[in-house]
Amino acid sequence: MKIRIQKKNFDFAREINSFTKKNTNVGAVASFLGKVRKTKKNKQIISIDIECYKAMATFQIKKIVKKLNSKILINDYLIIHRYGKLLPNENIVLVLVASKHRKESFIFLESLIDWLKAKVSFWKKENFINHSEWVEQEKEDLKKLICN
Amino acid sequence: MKIFYFAELKQLIGKSQDLIIITKKKTVSEVIIDLRKKGKNYDYAFSKVTNIKCAINCEYVNPSKEVKNEDELALFPPVTGG
Repeated sequence: MKIRIQKKNFDFAREINSFTKKNTNVGAVASFLGKVRKTKKNKQIISIDIECYKAMATFQIKKIVKKLNSKILINDYLIIHRYGKLLPNENIVLVLVASKHRKESFIFLESLIDWLKAKVSFWKKENFINHSEWVEQEKEDLKKLICN
Repeated sequence: MKIFYFAELKQLIGKSQDLIIITKKKTVSEVIIDLRKKGKNYDYAFSKVTNIKCAINCEYVNPSKEVKNEDELALFPPVTGG
């Protein structure tokens, strides 16, 4: 059960390898890797800036995990979310979930990502060639939440 | 009381935090009304960033919630992580 909020990049293969080695008594490990897109509406993205309120992000993730885990039983999870300046194709976020059966891992993973997008204190600014724009929250993201 | 600003709100105000002393009971909404009087940058930031979210000590709260001097208040636009 680990939450890492960090500037530096991470190695997906290394993280999943060490997570699966740690979780030997499970039947499923599900993963989600979020990356920086190269374009948005045909406009080239030069970089993105991710700002975070670390204390609140950690607090909110723990709260969400507890809430979800009361309904969906999992064995372990790892969340890595980056902040700072990120370039196209770089990793933004990694979520790994381990459970006895696949269904729990899938549901937990998707719900956690939905909650991350809707409630956890990170903000993205996209930098294009001539201007920058703060990303606006999608209203649809709020409708997806389970255990709300 | 420490007040933290994030994202576009921080950019428009031009700083990431303020320290204010509250002498009587106030709600988050009333604190925001006071902040808007601090300068044109504050007034503009709070008018431009609509749908401001607030958190006291890392918990989301309604703007009608009262704050205390020992609280940490965070004001920000809706989050966009993940």
